[in-house]
Amino acid sequence: MKKIEKSVADAYFRARTTMIIIYLAIGILVSYGVVLFAEPLSQIAFNGFPLHYYMGAQGAILTFIILLFINAVVSDKIDKKYGIDAKRNESISAGKTYDH
Amino acid sequence: MDAQFLVSLTLIVATFGLYIGIALYNKAKATSDFYVAGRGVPPVFNGMAIGADWMSAASFIGLAGTVMILGYDGLAYIMGWTGGYLLLTFLLAPQLRKYGRYTVPEFIGDRYRSNTARLIAAIATIIISFTYSVGQLSGSGVVIGRLLEVNAAVGTLIGVVLIAFYSALGGMKGITWTQVAQYVVLIIAYLIPVIFMAMQLTGNPMPWVSYGQVIDEMRALDQDLGITEYIVPFTEGTKWQFLALMFTLMAGTAGLPHVIVRFYTVSTMKAARWSGAWALLFIGLLYLSAPAYAAFSRFILMTQVAGSSISNLPAWTASWVDTGLLSVADTNGDNILQWQEIVISNDIVVMATPEIANLGIFVIGLMAAGAMAAALSTAGGLMIAISAALSHDIYFRSINPNASEKKRLLVGRWSIVIATVVAGLVALNPPGAITQIVAWAFALASGSFFPALLLGVWWKRSNGPGVIWGMVVGLSVTLGYIFAAKFGGFTILGIIDTGAGVFGASAAILTNVIVSLATKEPVKEVQEEVIDLRYPEQMTYRDGEVWMDDTEDVPNSTR
Repeated sequence: MKKIEKSVADAYFRARTTMIIIYLAIGILVSYGVVLFAEPLSQIAFNGFPLHYYMGAQGAILTFIILLFINAVVSDKIDKKYGIDAKRNESISAGKTYDH
Repeated sequence: MDAQFLVSLTLIVATFGLYIGIALYNKAKATSDFYVAGRGVPPVFNGMAIGADWMSAASFIGLAGTVMILGYDGLAYIMGWTGGYLLLTFLLAPQLRKYGRYTVPEFIGDRYRSNTARLIAAIATIIISFTYSVGQLSGSGVVIGRLLEVNAAVGTLIGVVLIAFYSALGGMKGITWTQVAQYVVLIIAYLIPVIFMAMQLTGNPMPWVSYGQVIDEMRALDQDLGITEYIVPFTEGTKWQFLALMFTLMAGTAGLPHVIVRFYTVSTMKAARWSGAWALLFIGLLYLSAPAYAAFSRFILMTQVAGSSISNLPAWTASWVDTGLLSVADTNGDNILQWQEIVISNDIVVMATPEIANLGIFVIGLMAAGAMAAALSTAGGLMIAISAALSHDIYFRSINPNASEKKRLLVGRWSIVIATVVAGLVALNPPGAITQIVAWAFALASGSFFPALLLGVWWKRSNGPGVIWGMVVGLSVTLGYIFAAKFGGFTILGIIDTGAGVFGASAAILTNVIVSLATKEPVKEVQEEVIDLRYPEQMTYRDGEVWMDDTEDVPNSTR
């Protein structure tokens, strides 16, 4: 066991949390944001669809999926940067799990 | 017995055989197998299992029809039921996985150090999951009944016996792998007809790209008929209802115990994040296709059915008129069927597609197998959630903490069998209230579980009294608003009963915060546990310091 500087630990948490806030903001924008402005957006056409309909039927879902994969990849990168070993996590997690 | 019957029967029996075989192979030997599949499910497969767990008979059969009938307003379901995975994967799943318990009520009970909170959560799990499963079982009865031409009650009983058998045997471990198989069956069954329909109508085998042109043509058709255009927003309710419904579905998704527990079956926080991403990709395949189904079906109804003479309707309409799901009465007596004279139930859009597009008996049989897979996989996941609440949260944690492993497995198995049989019996003749409660399940989950989990993970100051009062007030406000809106005509900004979760969740969060601040802060140990959830497994928070486990990894050394 090695002690980690508070500033390093805080930086890890801040990096992860900032990314999550950004993802959620984008997710909210493409769903709630588009619905709020559905009437003006319906004037814009996209691939045969009015834009508000396209976003509801496809654009929002595709954005959600992309955000989730970006989150998975970027989180792994952040973990790596802070010296986290995925294999080690698995062993620790298997040992620590509260199996009763 | 005709060829169609034999083909449908063969496909259904073959898939059932597959599920039973998988369950036999993955028999649960320990409680960790039974509740969390031994925690070793790879993320991609967990993604498929989440997909099958999540997409119910209602998604498979009814979603496209709902979008067709509601137009733009139906898209609140599409966005809400997919967006929930953002909340779940970003805010809850990895942290809950690190905390490492067996069930959602157990997390709530241990995090808040409150047996009362665990029992409230266990009872809420049972009520929500039970009513939800009644819907699945009666849905599977209708599917088997319609396609095998037997009584719906017989269909329901077949489903009950099957689920009781394989979920009691395999527990979560068996369910996980049957759900993977069920996902593959249901998604193939869902995509084949819509791809063929896209080729017939647009000449492009990619329905997701090509249905835009159909939407465009329908605008002109709608304008000729002088009816409200398909894509015009907020024709069925106010904009605020759309937003409130979307929020309720998202927060409810992130709070449904049978979905969350699937994230307990993977090995690490990292695997939980990847599971969420794969899950939404697999779910997205169906949710992206449902609006395409809706557009194609509406287009066919408008161009091939409406406008033809009443004596010369396409052959496929007859069998659906017989079921009462389609009505084509020539009300103005001019022998021509007008668009306005067609009344269609949202349940037939997907199931009738193979006949509409003339895809033959194999595809019809495949649809039946797919719809069954959707119903069975969701019902199986719900049964595990109910059984875990009964046998683990209530029996083991409250009644008999000294029970042996063997005894607990036995109690778990019997509680699944009993829950399935009881749900099946109720499903034979479901009271109207059940369908209502299913519609409200998301509002109830967003008013109870979502706030309790969110604050439990992200706010260390939240305590036992806070969560108890939060859940009680959240549930009361949700139910109160539902009844006031549904039966009392009381609404705020036009938000009706289905959007009640927005009020329930706000009230629960507010109450949790106020009561927590007004009472004693949680013991230091609890606060440290919560801060610990910020970091990956290798980092531990203890006594105000973060410690890194930097020992060399020796696989399996700590097991």
